Amino acid sequence: MRLAAAGVLALALGIGQTSFQPGSHPRPAAVSYLFPEQVTVPADKPAAVDLHFTVAPGLHINSHTPHARELVPTTLKFPETGAVRLAGVSYPAGSDFTFDLDPTEKLSVYTGEFILHAQMVAAPGAHLVEATLRYQACDNQTCMPPRSVPVTIDVIAK
Amino acid sequence: MKRNVIVVAVVVFLLVVLGLAGWANWQNRKQMLAAQQAHQSQAVLIADSGTGSNAIGHLSSPLVGKPAPNFTLTNLKGEKVSLASYKGKAVQLNFWATWCAPCKIETPWLIELEKQYQPQGFEILGISFDDLDRDDPKLFAKDKAEIARSVAQLKIPYPVLLDGDSIAKPYGDSDVYPTSFFVNRSGTIVAASFGLTSKEDLEDNIRKALEEGK
Repeated sequence: MRLAAAGVLALALGIGQTSFQPGSHPRPAAVSYLFPEQVTVPADKPAAVDLHFTVAPGLHINSHTPHARELVPTTLKFPETGAVRLAGVSYPAGSDFTFDLDPTEKLSVYTGEFILHAQMVAAPGAHLVEATLRYQACDNQTCMPPRSVPVTIDVIAK
Repeated sequence: MKRNVIVVAVVVFLLVVLGLAGWANWQNRKQMLAAQQAHQSQAVLIADSGTGSNAIGHLSSPLVGKPAPNFTLTNLKGEKVSLASYKGKAVQLNFWATWCAPCKIETPWLIELEKQYQPQGFEILGISFDDLDRDDPKLFAKDKAEIARSVAQLKIPYPVLLDGDSIAKPYGDSDVYPTSFFVNRSGTIVAASFGLTSKEDLEDNIRKALEEGK
């Protein structure tokens, strides 16, 4: 069981794989942005866009509202300057997770695929938005430092 | 005359090609050497020597059996603390962070174990891997206050040192937390543990650090 758990994280981190080259950062991300790569939205009006992500098998990340203040919430960020503004995000509720060795403490986490409902306002034209999703991932024995995954979307506002 | 110019041009061209090839070869060798050096201290996933369904796997460090890389870090009071000053004692270097939930689970075990084995010459140094904003004094103070808050909340009695990232490389840059290195009285790493194990595993490693290198 411990071998499997350590193995999952090691794989996610790229440790112990023959293909892993030490120092070849960035290591494989625990979270990947799936889609959409391109959206068409009405210009200068709030538009709802669902952003799909997936967490690598065997790992979990904190939800946007973790139960403890020192835990890093999953957060979507758009560039502060740009033609596309993030007007709001509706994050899904996390599911409960407890560590085998401490069933008393519940964490609020995302696992597998999850969707963020973003509201964006774009100026007329075509814009490449380079947003980021900040998260902090763990398996059931270990944690990785907080990281950010790029969320690149081609926004066409008409 | 024209022939001489052509000959000179060809020779220059060949010299440039040879020079570039040599430079590329040197760069390649340099990169390979750096990768090799990094690999020597990189944690790797291995299975324990035991076989059968109860065999336990762990991340092992090639640093085991080698002298613990020395460091000087600052504690929460702003005082400098050096690993070298702990020579003659068995030390557990516990790499942790406030955002690491499994670290919080093992902390009460560490507190108990340090209390139990301190009379025999055992000490724990908690090393925080929380980010510190050194460019902004206000944010730096805030980051430090957050770590101090967690230390108080977890009732950690042993020293907690800041800026673990600065010593990550010599300690294998494993990037998984919690991680512990067990250093014997002579300053040699006798065991390493990666991730949440059990209190018994931690105790076994502490005993190893106390018994070896007397």
